[in-house]
Amino acid sequence: MKETAARWLPLTALFVILAVVVFPFYWMLLSAFTPRAVLFRPPYQLVRVDFSLENFRDLLFATQFLTYVKNSLIAAVGAIVLNVIAATLAGYGLTRFAFRGKKAFAFGTLFSYMFPPMLMAIPLYILFSALKMRNTYTGLILSHMAISLPLNIWIMWQYFQIVPQSLEEAAWVSGASRLRALREVCLPSARAGIMSVAIFAFALSWNDFTFAFILQTDRHMFTVPVGLATFVEQTAIHWGMVMASAVLVSVPTFALVFFLQKYLLSGLSMSAK
Amino acid sequence: MAFTVRLDGLHKRFGRALVAVENLTVEIGEREFFTFVGPSGCGKTTTLRMIAGLETPTAGRILFDGRDVTALPPQKRDIAMVFQDIALFPYMTVAQNIGYPLRIAGLPRAAIAEKVARVATILGLTDKLDAKPAQLSGGQQQRVAIGRAIAKEPKVLLMDEPLSALDARLRAEMRAEILRLHRELATTIIYVTHDQVEAMTMSTRVAVMDRGRALQIDAPRTIFHEPHNLTVATFIGTPAMNVVPAAIVESAGGLAVELLGHRVAIHPRHSAALHGLKHVEAGIRPQALRLRPPGREGVSGVVFLREPLGLEDEVLVEAAGGARLKAVTASGDAFPEGAAVVLDFALRDLYLFEPDSKAMLCHGVDGAPR
Repeated sequence: MKETAARWLPLTALFVILAVVVFPFYWMLLSAFTPRAVLFRPPYQLVRVDFSLENFRDLLFATQFLTYVKNSLIAAVGAIVLNVIAATLAGYGLTRFAFRGKKAFAFGTLFSYMFPPMLMAIPLYILFSALKMRNTYTGLILSHMAISLPLNIWIMWQYFQIVPQSLEEAAWVSGASRLRALREVCLPSARAGIMSVAIFAFALSWNDFTFAFILQTDRHMFTVPVGLATFVEQTAIHWGMVMASAVLVSVPTFALVFFLQKYLLSGLSMSAK
Repeated sequence: MAFTVRLDGLHKRFGRALVAVENLTVEIGEREFFTFVGPSGCGKTTTLRMIAGLETPTAGRILFDGRDVTALPPQKRDIAMVFQDIALFPYMTVAQNIGYPLRIAGLPRAAIAEKVARVATILGLTDKLDAKPAQLSGGQQQRVAIGRAIAKEPKVLLMDEPLSALDARLRAEMRAEILRLHRELATTIIYVTHDQVEAMTMSTRVAVMDRGRALQIDAPRTIFHEPHNLTVATFIGTPAMNVVPAAIVESAGGLAVELLGHRVAIHPRHSAALHGLKHVEAGIRPQALRLRPPGREGVSGVVFLREPLGLEDEVLVEAAGGARLKAVTASGDAFPEGAAVVLDFALRDLYLFEPDSKAMLCHGVDGAPR
């Protein structure tokens, strides 16, 4: 008897926790596929059968949702590319070159990560107004980098410390230039780090509300999180559309984590070798 | 034409305080197997890295065949290097690792494949070409690292403690392999190790380093038999040379040396070298000591510890006064632990060193030429 209890207790706990975590996702999916007419009609049942794609149709054809997605994607891709390039070079420089104030730089980098986005958003608004960079992709991408790059530099710095210097030296004595050694020997070994930088840059840019809300005042430049906020109107909240867009927005996030997670783990075990 | 590597007054300082290499001058000839040996921190690896171009000398020059390469980066020197931690590229296959320098040199794909195949044959890696380094054993990984170095066909092959990551049996195996390679390839090999057995067995010449200085540069046999000073004498040879304090005394027939209550006459031809000295350090190699029953002429003592090694035993003898001497004897001789013995040695096996400078004063005190 005791043994069965010992086996079932953790399992039960697991299910309880799982229910708490999974339920919002379930409710999101359920609401997204429930037609508007049913959505607000009590009783609100936990299990339903009358599904429809009405919310999605409204979302895609009656709103500017696709424009928001395009803007979000451009910002995210830009942030990923620039983050990977800048963080990789900075991390490499921090591990391979000795220079004055290196430690201060590294810790300053991490310190700047601790400021809340709001603290930076107002100065950036003034700055970008002066530079005419509000309502531009460049401005949005740069503001996202201000948040994600410090931690990404830190990540790459840690990763390059794991890559042995002798690997590079072996490439040099084989005749490879510094840049070639970095590309062919260092980067493959730091691949897991680059992946985490990309994921982090994506997540921050994709989820950002503060910067996009303050810097992008033109409706055509809204990103998804800001666009979603417009579904909340003074007299009505379009729950069905909010839920439908929430479903669509979480798809790339899930896909990214799902596919790169395997990558991340294998990368970790490789770099431990 | 013979290819030479010349180090000319080489200095390397790290920061202000740490002197890694001090005033090192040596010329290494073509096809030589030259070894820098010494304890860790003696500057041997730094020297090798300067030859490779991975470190910049603080002062001095490095010449390849008379051409000053001191300022050249590693890519532009005609060298290849095997690293202590093997440093294979983990994401490349064995073939890609070996072929890497050839790919950089811009060789056509077919030529690379052919050369990689040839190197793999030499090193017995033919069936491993598609494997990744992580799938190989330590010895195989080391072979690949050597393969990557020799594929480049460098004028100078640098090896930084290449065997230190291997276990004892593999190390002996690879030692023979490297020697065979040296003969087959006819390249100059510059080798770094802390293991004096490696240095002695493989090299044509050895530089014994200590605290950034080359204490002696000679053929292994010369270093063993005629060490310039006490540090070299005790570093080279296993077990290490016994060193005991000794006194120089005047006796009827001239000078004599007194060690552990045993007096030995010194041949007059050494008088000049010992002139004015009262105390010296006396050195005898464990292999030169023989155990005799008490009552004979020699240093008396008691067997303190006997370590059987199979064919031979290492015996630690405590002499009167507490000094301990190690002797290597035939296995299972008549003296168990606790037995009283006399240590006997031939006079030509006795070395005398100056107590302060530790320089060797004379060896073979009977005056017989070696």
